[in-house]
Amino acid sequence: MSETATDTPAPTPSRLEVLAATIGAVCGERALRIASISQELTFEVAPAHLLDVCRQLRDDPRLLFETLADLSGIDYLTFGMDEWNTHTATNAGFSRGVAGLDDIDAPAVPMERRFAVVYHLLSVTLNQRVRLRSYCDAGEPPMTDSVVEVWPGANWFEREAFDLYGILFRGHPDLRRILTDYGFIGHPFRKDFPLIGHVEVRYDPEKQRVVYEPVSIEARTLVPRVIRDDHRYEPALHGRVTSAPGKPNG
Amino acid sequence: MGLVAEVDAELKDKGFVTARLDDLMNWARTGSMWPVTFGLACCAIEMMQAGAARYDLDRFGVVFRPSPRQSDVMIVAGTLTNKMAAPLRKVYDQMSDPKWVISMGSCANGGGYYHYSYSVVRGCDRIVPVDIYVPGCPPSAEALIYGILQLQNKVRRTSTIAR
Repeated sequence: MSETATDTPAPTPSRLEVLAATIGAVCGERALRIASISQELTFEVAPAHLLDVCRQLRDDPRLLFETLADLSGIDYLTFGMDEWNTHTATNAGFSRGVAGLDDIDAPAVPMERRFAVVYHLLSVTLNQRVRLRSYCDAGEPPMTDSVVEVWPGANWFEREAFDLYGILFRGHPDLRRILTDYGFIGHPFRKDFPLIGHVEVRYDPEKQRVVYEPVSIEARTLVPRVIRDDHRYEPALHGRVTSAPGKPNG
Repeated sequence: MGLVAEVDAELKDKGFVTARLDDLMNWARTGSMWPVTFGLACCAIEMMQAGAARYDLDRFGVVFRPSPRQSDVMIVAGTLTNKMAAPLRKVYDQMSDPKWVISMGSCANGGGYYHYSYSVVRGCDRIVPVDIYVPGCPPSAEALIYGILQLQNKVRRTSTIAR
């Protein structure tokens, strides 16, 4: 064995790193690589360059991302904030969508970086995938460019993102709601949309039709309280054991 | 003694058969309850099982119809959303009298898992009058058949010519 550690050649870069380098070479500074986990590549693209970058990702012979696998919106309004923690959850249970925005002191992210759109691209030809994230333009409603002209399949995805998050896609041929009720008000996947909504329906025998009325129920905690076997979150009950180890609960 | 043997004996004896018209009509009604196909969610899968070979709803004279005009009963199988409420009522209104409704599963009974949702009707009885509620999430095919049998009992008990 004459081979020594100094002789080992540098390891060949993984396919992922090759792809990342290629995208970096093609897009330059317009696409910024952000933390990628579990062998998935993610790039952040400024909205101004979105269409250019997408077209190049589709057409460059080294990339050939001819398929848009998915497109979705994100609302970062309460990103990284807890609505509950495990200690109080033991007593009270926890829930989402019950506490209104009034209970949230300050948004965790600056409002101009509240909405983003995520694109999942696939190249069937070259068997590779990449994810793009692009923040929308600040302001209400949030806006970004439509990629329908790059991938026609984006049409209904963008309608869905518009319906649920209220993101407007410039250049979309037919930006209508796609999922929610006719005449629906609001965008239900926004973090400040109340879970119970604003209206409910009922059949009115006098008018002989289904009528809309203001919602009549109260929001409430939906997840039941958690009680640990050893009362680890309940200082008053420390030391008490409800069931002996190995003995099944009656 | 079976029905056929009974009728046969009376025919041989008297040459004719008598029956109360009420009973005869209820016998016909309960023996041919044709549901309008109204599958909304996963409950519909269980409803299909009830109609398929193993449980075979045809045995009870239950034959799924694609048109409300030919149907006697509507099985609301699944989550009724706000958007679907008006079409559901429309289909119900198009059914000819007498008509019945079976509400199948937690969502149709009272909103179920989606009770606190912004887009789901909290029970299909807010839209149409319900005769039988079948509990479960989803109810098994046996449970649905039990519900249909209960509806037949209800029809036998309450449905008369003189309304």
